[in-house]
Amino acid sequence: MIKNVLSDIGGIGLYGVISVCLFFVIFSGALVWAFLLRKPHLNALSQLPLNDGSHENSQKGNPDHE
Amino acid sequence: MNLETFRYDNRIVRAFAIATIVWGIVGMLAGLLAALQLFWPGANFDLAYTTFGRVRPLHTNAVVFAFVGNAMFMGIYYSLQRLCKARMFSDRLSWANFWGWQGIIVAAAVTLLSGFTTSKEYAELEWPIDIAIAVVWVIFTINLLGTIVKRREKHMYVAIWFYIATAITVAVLHIGNSIAMPAGWLKSYPVYAGVQDALVQWWYAHNAVAFFLTTPFLGLMYYFLPKAAERPVFSYRLSIIHFWGLIFLYIWAGPHHLLYTALPDWAQSLGMVFSVMLVAPSWGGMLNGLLTLRGAWHKVREEPMLKFMVVALTAYGMATLEGPLLSIKSVNALSHYTDWTVAHVHTGALGWNGFLAFSMLYWLFPKLWNTKLYSVKLANWHFWIAILGMMFYIVPMYWSGVTQGLMWKEFTSDGFLQYPNFLETVLQLVPMYGLRAVGGSLYIVGVLFMVFNLWQTARAGQFVPDVEAQAVPLRSQPAHVESGPIYKHRWLESRVVLFTVLSLVAILIGGAVEIIPLYLIKSNVPTIASVKPYTPLEVLGRDLYIREGCVGCHSQMIRPFRSETERYGEYSKAGEFVYDHPFLWGSKRTGPDLHRIGGKYADAWHFNHMEDPRTMSPGSLMPRYAWLLTQKLDTNSLPARISALRKVGVPYEVGYEQGQAQQDLAAQAAKIVTNLKQGSVESAADREIIALIAYLQRLGTDIKAVAPPAAQAATSTVNQP
Repeated sequence: MIKNVLSDIGGIGLYGVISVCLFFVIFSGALVWAFLLRKPHLNALSQLPLNDGSHENSQKGNPDHE
Repeated sequence: MNLETFRYDNRIVRAFAIATIVWGIVGMLAGLLAALQLFWPGANFDLAYTTFGRVRPLHTNAVVFAFVGNAMFMGIYYSLQRLCKARMFSDRLSWANFWGWQGIIVAAAVTLLSGFTTSKEYAELEWPIDIAIAVVWVIFTINLLGTIVKRREKHMYVAIWFYIATAITVAVLHIGNSIAMPAGWLKSYPVYAGVQDALVQWWYAHNAVAFFLTTPFLGLMYYFLPKAAERPVFSYRLSIIHFWGLIFLYIWAGPHHLLYTALPDWAQSLGMVFSVMLVAPSWGGMLNGLLTLRGAWHKVREEPMLKFMVVALTAYGMATLEGPLLSIKSVNALSHYTDWTVAHVHTGALGWNGFLAFSMLYWLFPKLWNTKLYSVKLANWHFWIAILGMMFYIVPMYWSGVTQGLMWKEFTSDGFLQYPNFLETVLQLVPMYGLRAVGGSLYIVGVLFMVFNLWQTARAGQFVPDVEAQAVPLRSQPAHVESGPIYKHRWLESRVVLFTVLSLVAILIGGAVEIIPLYLIKSNVPTIASVKPYTPLEVLGRDLYIREGCVGCHSQMIRPFRSETERYGEYSKAGEFVYDHPFLWGSKRTGPDLHRIGGKYADAWHFNHMEDPRTMSPGSLMPRYAWLLTQKLDTNSLPARISALRKVGVPYEVGYEQGQAQQDLAAQAAKIVTNLKQGSVESAADREIIALIAYLQRLGTDIKAVAPPAAQAATSTVNQP
């Protein structure tokens, strides 16, 4: 029943293909990007919530984690 | 070093915290009332304002936008300043955000209970309030981006990415789904109809869950969890993948709300595939959160905030595993329209959003009032009562959902429906509905414990309106000298505008690929020649159906299963909804589907049934709608309504509303009055009930007038019981 709704739009399958390809490219890009980052930089980034320049919270986190 | 001294604004955080608690209680009480009404019709109080159809959208809007919304602003206003090492961009904008949002909530509560609704789930508010939401959201976004721009910290922590994605996506979703043609100050018709309206609505609603209930809270988790655990997030790398994976996948998954409906198959499959893929980033995020506590689990024993956070993350993991499961078509065939969906969303609402909000409140109050939590023991009591409440809520709803889904599909050995009377399947669920109300009550008792605890905490301490901090301004910080991939990464993460644009592009591509083909459908939905626009009386009747929130319990979408065609009649076709502004397919069957109700019962049956459903269906859980029998139908608004519908594409002749429409309305009403007399019912022709009967009797009948070739060719149903 559903096929007869869209039988007249040419190349409708293309939309699904576009979406999967786009996702694949962007997700792979994000993976590559994330794995190219160096650990000292990641450590510095992950420390950001623990140091806000105030005296509210003076304790620092454990830098062992990436 | 050129250190600058500045102050974080705690007043705005306090205001949002108090609003979170107040609206949380209101939203949960509305939910409890709705839960009681589902097994005790007397709890509707026979009043239009307090009837389930209006209370249910009040509950969902209050919980989503008032409770979770204020909690989100509370957390963002606290964490953003500290992550940017800057006060908010503008205090004036902060307060405009606060008071604007509270004003919208009050307007929402008043209009929803008064019956002004678009009927589109989680987007029920009428157009003037929609405009106000857009304005307040823009204020919030300017304040957010302005703060990020004037920050003293070069890098944007991952939480800020989630906040940016939230701000821009919610704006796109809200505007995209709310485009409507006004037909009065508090009445409008969406520009989309039928299938298109359904897809746009669920693209919106699904992503509202994603970008209002999920991404901001993930950002908050990435800030508050390391803060409370006093250790950095387990893997920052994973958080990057989590972010991009999540925002890029979520936007495609909306069609999973419309499986087996008249939505085109390719869109259904797209929604299903992307939903299943969503498990990966969701679980990546959950594990990243839980593993942050690696080596610090002893703190979970001592710190109530962490207890709530751990359960919130676990509930997030459960809900995001179950969501994809429910998106698989064969599972959805059983679960859709049942309480299983209710169980699923409450795992998210009570577990994920609720517990995370409590977690932030327990952590923030002692900080804001510079003291210790009044009672850790009481917080632990809250924790366990809330867990118990959640279990009493969710488990009966699973039981009820699966029971009813199976009963709907049960056939006798002779091939007849085992439970042909829908009511039989509802009455089976009453004990579960009772238990659900117990669960909800326990959850609220827990919240009251929290209120007392936080009140005592605030009383014992001294509020700190401003917190002094010091940081080096960006212009004085040394420029990076490294090169290579790190440099590129820093280049992106330190550029807020570029980052915002990229996130916007990511979500726009998803939305566009999903929705553009649907615009092409308009000329491709097989026209069913006998499907005609509603008559004036039916238009007003349909608007009453919308006003009373009938769509909250009754679907108008018969799926192509034998179990449904046997029970309700011919399955629903896309071509039947071309004049439906808005679509009223619904998402839950507390009562039966109504798409083929037209002509099934006499007019008098409907009259008596609306006056007191239990006279016609003993044991029915439906509220009484006696006021429809006495209230006069408002026909003054008819010209504006017909005109607005014409503007959105319904082919009423120009000038039809000037006289002819009124005459047609009177003639049809007189005919219904005559029919009622035959059924020994006396009614004046100008009562609301007459319009509602006209609409109900029209439902699903057009297709029977002349059997269209397309329908004849495709009478076979999907091979699914």
